[in-house]
Amino acid sequence: MANIVEIAGLTKDYPLDKTIVHALRGIDLNIPAGTLMSIMGPSGSGKTTLLNIIGCVDKPTAGSVKVAGIDISSLNDRKITDLRLHQIGFIFQTFNLIPVLNALENVEFPLQIMHKFTAGQVRSKAKKLLEAVGLADYMHHRPAELSGGQRQRVAIARALVTEPSLVLADEPTANLDSVTGASILDLMAEMNKSLGTTFIFSTHDSHVLKYAKSIVNIHDGLIVEG
Amino acid sequence: MTLIIKIAWRNMFRHRGKSLVIGTILFLGAFLLTLGNSVITGMEAGLDKSVVEGFTGDVILVSKSQQDDNVILGMMGKAVENISRFDTLRPSLEATGLFRNLLPVGKNFAMAINEQGGNAGYAFLFGVDFKEWRAMFPNSIQVISGTFPDSTGLLMATGGLEQLYTSMGIWFWPKGAPIDTSVLSKDAKESYPQLNVQNDIVFMGFNEANTSSDIRLPLQGVSRFKALNKIWGHFLFVDINSYRRCMGLFTDQDKAAPVNAQDQALLNQNNTNLDALFGDPSLLNSAPSGAPKKVETVKQQPLATSKEAGIYNMVLARFAPGINRTKGLDSLNHFLEKGNLPLRALTWQKASGPIGSMTVIIKVALNVFVFFLFFVAIIIIINTLSMAAMERTSEIGMMRAVGAQKGFISRMFLVETAFLSSVFGALGVLSGLGTVLFVQSLKLTTDNDILQLFYGGDTFHPIFGFQDFLFTAGQLLLVTLIASVYPVKVAQSITPLDAISRD
Repeated sequence: MANIVEIAGLTKDYPLDKTIVHALRGIDLNIPAGTLMSIMGPSGSGKTTLLNIIGCVDKPTAGSVKVAGIDISSLNDRKITDLRLHQIGFIFQTFNLIPVLNALENVEFPLQIMHKFTAGQVRSKAKKLLEAVGLADYMHHRPAELSGGQRQRVAIARALVTEPSLVLADEPTANLDSVTGASILDLMAEMNKSLGTTFIFSTHDSHVLKYAKSIVNIHDGLIVEG
Repeated sequence: MTLIIKIAWRNMFRHRGKSLVIGTILFLGAFLLTLGNSVITGMEAGLDKSVVEGFTGDVILVSKSQQDDNVILGMMGKAVENISRFDTLRPSLEATGLFRNLLPVGKNFAMAINEQGGNAGYAFLFGVDFKEWRAMFPNSIQVISGTFPDSTGLLMATGGLEQLYTSMGIWFWPKGAPIDTSVLSKDAKESYPQLNVQNDIVFMGFNEANTSSDIRLPLQGVSRFKALNKIWGHFLFVDINSYRRCMGLFTDQDKAAPVNAQDQALLNQNNTNLDALFGDPSLLNSAPSGAPKKVETVKQQPLATSKEAGIYNMVLARFAPGINRTKGLDSLNHFLEKGNLPLRALTWQKASGPIGSMTVIIKVALNVFVFFLFFVAIIIIINTLSMAAMERTSEIGMMRAVGAQKGFISRMFLVETAFLSSVFGALGVLSGLGTVLFVQSLKLTTDNDILQLFYGGDTFHPIFGFQDFLFTAGQLLLVTLIASVYPVKVAQSITPLDAISRD
């Protein structure tokens, strides 16, 4: 199976006042396509930083990162944004939906900025995914009219609607109760299975481990053996 | 673009507070701009009608040696330079095809002598051919008493009557005409019916050579200018020949008096014994007894055979229909320069000095006011929009994370501001237009000179034309763009990372 992500010698340093924080201190990691991987680690371990770099929203200090075979260090802002649009889906801890758009329009958003599909195709794809995440009856509800779990389902549909190679979820269940969180993870596992999309999610909750096909433990910016 | 418009439109309602703050400023700006531009346009159009069609014509031709441009309302300083032999200049000017009318006139300062021993009065004499003047400005005045002079005489506007009464204490009025008490000034009304009335005026012209003459002119008519009556009232209209005599403006041809044979023989004498010339005892004949006879008529200087061969001070000109005033003026000055004619052409604004300047001052004042209004508006809008951008960090960061380019964010912000600008700007323009129509319906009139300048005539008639609409829309667009630049930069600087919480 080909690797969707290839990381070699990755370091990331942040300046913090007069000191430097070494968030990642030399990560080597290959992630095969189609997997559902969990990045585990305590708070401050560097798992979100790793996820951000894989998601091309942050840049490494040193090392090489390839996403879908593309070395992200050589890309300018426009190309990186394009890479995110076409190859990566995001699920945020705080859902981050566009408040003035309803559920259907939120899911349509990435497709509309792609300028690749007709209005009919955009609507049909978005509807299909909202139905798949169980929100057929809530398509015309604005985010403020949805529960936390429903919002996260909309976010999952939005992340998947462009048919990306990779979906990144940063602690997707952190703001949900345990039952809702479990249903979200069930949904991600189901989508991974049915669509073959690679899912990488970060968590510090050991209860979610059963959903992952592979687990990477990270501690003080280094991958450690499970 | 549909998506951006959808987001922008909904955001306008979602952020109602900010929309109202920005909208109110834009509404006020558009409202005041509409009013201001309408007042300026109305004033310009009104002045154009009142001044150009009422007194000056499109352009004023003056002597090339005339230095000061303010030839009509210049109160002090040198007299307006003379223009000689207009009869030789007219054909060249008419051949350009630029003109509908050319009216040479004289204009200079004169003193009205108080024969009763009181204070003198002062006025501008405007020497015209009455028939030609009326043909050029047919609707400018209304004769309210007496008659419009046919060829010679004096015509005075009510404004002039008031001025002379103030300084001389004499109310001038045409002989035989009943006094119209409605035109009496406040002071004159108080003295009525014991008003000191006189039917003719003796003028003494002022010129640099001190060769002017006293001339008595009967007041034939009292008129009222349809607009700017007080300002134009400074000018007393006299026939051009009387004007020239009063001002001592005689050409060499005028002065060439016929000499009889006896006088010519005297002039031809080479005898240097001047005493011999006075040796004739008949020179010492005794004078007839009794009181000297009053001289009934003063022997007047003969004038040039052709009226236009005499001296004038300026030429009022109306362009032919279809001639653009600015282009016409340029082309005329080019023609005068190229043909080496002793004339130059002035706009009515330049020639009318204070009136022309007043319109510019009012225009500048309104524009400065609008500029400050928009300056403050821009600062407030920038501040409000920048805060809005920062408050929407997670939304904008998320958009960037899922693939929106910076350009999308910029467009989204611009469209949001454009929505506010067009919705509230349109409301402001409509309210301004409503106010303009309301003010028009009131038909506010004034006799005050300064207000008449502001009104552009005696009636306040603001006009909101299509050009004003375009100008207002352009200014609003400019404000929108300027006010959006910094907030757009702020929004563009938001990264996807800002939307994601860090470990």
